[in-house]
Amino acid sequence: MNTLTTIDELGFAPALQQDVLEDTTSDHALLEATRSGDHDAFAELVGRYRNQITSYIYRMTNDYDGAVDLAQETFVRVYRAADRYQRSYAFSTYIYRIATNLAISELRKRKRRKLVSLTGFFQPTDGGEAKELNPPDGRPLQDLELVDTERRNAVQRAIGTLPEKYRAPLILRDVDGRSYDEIAKILETSEGTVKSRISRARGFLREKMRAYL
Amino acid sequence: MRKNNCEVVRRELDELMIGEAWSTAATEHLRGCASCREFHEQQTKLRQIVGSLGTIEAPADFDFRLRARLAQSNGSPVYWTFARRGLAVAAMVIVFATGALVVRNVLNQPTGVDQVARQPEVPQPAKPEEPKPLLKGENKQAPAVAGIVDDAPPVVRKNRRLPAEYRKPLTSVDFSSERAELINGAGGVSRAFPIDASLQAIRVSLDDGRGNAKTISVPTISFGSQRIVQSGNQFAPKRDW
Repeated sequence: MNTLTTIDELGFAPALQQDVLEDTTSDHALLEATRSGDHDAFAELVGRYRNQITSYIYRMTNDYDGAVDLAQETFVRVYRAADRYQRSYAFSTYIYRIATNLAISELRKRKRRKLVSLTGFFQPTDGGEAKELNPPDGRPLQDLELVDTERRNAVQRAIGTLPEKYRAPLILRDVDGRSYDEIAKILETSEGTVKSRISRARGFLREKMRAYL
Repeated sequence: MRKNNCEVVRRELDELMIGEAWSTAATEHLRGCASCREFHEQQTKLRQIVGSLGTIEAPADFDFRLRARLAQSNGSPVYWTFARRGLAVAAMVIVFATGALVVRNVLNQPTGVDQVARQPEVPQPAKPEEPKPLLKGENKQAPAVAGIVDDAPPVVRKNRRLPAEYRKPLTSVDFSSERAELINGAGGVSRAFPIDASLQAIRVSLDDGRGNAKTISVPTISFGSQRIVQSGNQFAPKRDW
């Protein structure tokens, strides 16, 4: 009978190392390390999510500088609340929830302030839904890239006119490609509600984007 | 039936991700339904356009700015948490105190429709004064005592709100421990005082503060010598004893 002297001889050492490696680099582990004062771990978390969060807030607010500011505020809140973080949800759900709340709060602030924007001149004063501007030019464009750019701008503006309760689930689903289950957890609502809102949001967009479809 | 099928198929197509396989029932329906095919094509195109928005990159100095922001706000959250809590507690105390005052004032307001007019001021316990002789013919005012009014009937005001000074709660004044006023003075002062004052009935009106007034009549008090003088000698000076 042979006697095993090292753990490598068992044959599953590489798998074990990989598990350990994955565990130390998971979002939860990084936040645990942040909690104990590891700034590098927090920097790693920021590196993973900064683009996603900035992009998501930008799609929600249609304002890049404001989106960067809110994305930073999101990370500040994550950092401050690291002690209170519970592992019952995925970290991505947690951080997206914070970002969503901040974005919706910003949208409501703007509504109160009634910021004058380029599209604001054409918005109805009776509080009704804003109308999509920039109807497409019927003339053919030479450059396909220009066409794509124009189409993307139009859809971004059209998303910006959606009510916030439809906007967030649509972006999370169609832009970020998240599952209904995760969206429901981020928005703290039921899956059925999420599906219904996404369907209605697409209906609105289809009407606004009819010229491009 | 067909419309129901269209709704079911459209919902199914709507919930699937782009490129995900749909059911055979949906496939068969799409084969025969032109409007659903058109809907599906438009929906797919729309979702492709929305999906093509992609991810926007954060600025290059994002980390630097975030670090500066964290350093700037370091320590302040605890301070602000306590400051906010303190402010909230202070606000609550103020609100409760104001509420209690309002409730107290409301409860102290008289509820009766008819209010009997009372003396506006509640007298303080009278200090014993120096004996003051009463001169003959001097019209001495009776000391103002709460609830004691003259023979005139009490003035009744209907549906009128009394001013604040009248709405003070009633207080009772106990004079039992004080000396009665001495009328019989000394030192070259006339000892005369109106004897016929006792022939008048004393009426005391009491108001309980809720519009109920009671009047107590004290019968005439006379002294034996007074009776003798008045009945025996009709010519005797009437007012002097």
